[in-house]
Amino acid sequence: MAYVMECKHLWKIYEQHLFAVKDVSMHIEKGEIKLIFGPSGSGKSTLLRCLAMLTPSDKGEIFLGDQCLTKPGVDLNKARARIGFVFQHIYLFRHLTALGNVELALRYVLKMPKEKAREQALQSLREVKMEEWAHHYPAQLSGGQQQRVGIARALARNPDIILLDEPTSALDPELIGEVIDTLRDLAKEGTTMLIVSHEMSFAREVADEMMFYDEGTIVETGPPEHFFNSPKSERAKKFMTRLIKRTHRE
Amino acid sequence: MFEFIAEYIPTIIDGLILTIEVTLFGIFAGLGLGTLLAIGDKYGGKVVSSIIRIYVEFFRGSPILIQLFISQYALPTLTHIPINPYITGFAVFALNSAAYQKGYIKGAMETVFEDQMMAGLSTGMSNWQTIRHVILPQTFRIMIPAWSNEFCSLTKSTAVLGLIGILDLTGAGKTMAGQTYRVLETWIVIAVIYLAWITLFTKIADIIYEKKKIPGIELSA
Repeated sequence: MAYVMECKHLWKIYEQHLFAVKDVSMHIEKGEIKLIFGPSGSGKSTLLRCLAMLTPSDKGEIFLGDQCLTKPGVDLNKARARIGFVFQHIYLFRHLTALGNVELALRYVLKMPKEKAREQALQSLREVKMEEWAHHYPAQLSGGQQQRVGIARALARNPDIILLDEPTSALDPELIGEVIDTLRDLAKEGTTMLIVSHEMSFAREVADEMMFYDEGTIVETGPPEHFFNSPKSERAKKFMTRLIKRTHRE
Repeated sequence: MFEFIAEYIPTIIDGLILTIEVTLFGIFAGLGLGTLLAIGDKYGGKVVSSIIRIYVEFFRGSPILIQLFISQYALPTLTHIPINPYITGFAVFALNSAAYQKGYIKGAMETVFEDQMMAGLSTGMSNWQTIRHVILPQTFRIMIPAWSNEFCSLTKSTAVLGLIGILDLTGAGKTMAGQTYRVLETWIVIAVIYLAWITLFTKIADIIYEKKKIPGIELSA
């Protein structure tokens, strides 16, 4: 069986020598939750955006199911419709209500009739517990609420996989919990997710696998316990120590 | 003092209607064309974008009166096809306004562009669908104040239409002043009518701006 998503020898080079993605190969199976973590500026966001076909990669292959997305002539819009994406800075459509944000792609990408799109959008908002805020505009919502709408927007199309790029790191500390709760619910339902995050207790709880990413490559891979107990590489060790210290301070 | 005006009401109304027609046509056709120019500049690649820039520089960099003269008097000497001055008037005002509005639209688009575009694409919408459903609705809201300014200056520029033989509101004033020698009263009345029309339109624009404002976001344009 094909993986839900896979990349082989993927490269993304900015300018001359800035390797954001350096020969990365990875895959994710249906229902799996994988978590990428590592220092900022190491290229995690770029990797995620390449996988979602939001940033063109320079070399290598990306597969969504058994379809290769990096071949010329692929309908990228169709491919993106099957991938949910949640942004660090949320990026809701500012002129639309929560409902409008979730509804838009259902109407114009999946071509659902108005009534059905509305129903499905409300269903998604219910899943992130934002139904009663359906008619509020993004600027009228807290950061945590906005991100839950962002998650609902990614969910609504029933994508094959959801990619989440540091979904909580732009939020005030007291708002992180509600977003994590939402993600925990998704995990329980078996949603396939690739998450960039430094929420270690969340990772420990839901991740099937963690990947330590630094300088454009996956340095080390393993189940959460591996990283909490005995990471192999010096870099991962150092990073974990710092993360755990920070978590204790908070 | 103003009794003589009664006799000229039909002249004034004819002139006013023409002024209104030209400005409304200019502002709306200019909006449509300006939007296409802004999108073309952003997406059209180097060649298209250079052509658009030359177009914009020409219409912004020369007096509208000269643009009218060129299309009304200079072009026909080359093509030997006489042009109806009304067609010239409507066309030049639309083309001229498009050049200005392209700048406002592009500027407003830039402020909403990057993140909203990426968000749109991430949901599976095409570039065009995102422009249509996400970028433009925000762009138009943001640019209303600039657009309303453009309307004021466009309306006032129509006063030169008389110089290619079109009887607009200013033309009506000239007729009145010429026939009655009541220069003071005539131009006061004409000025007040311009003022009323511009005020009416910009008030409507203000109301639309307030109504359509994205809740919770203060847009400064």
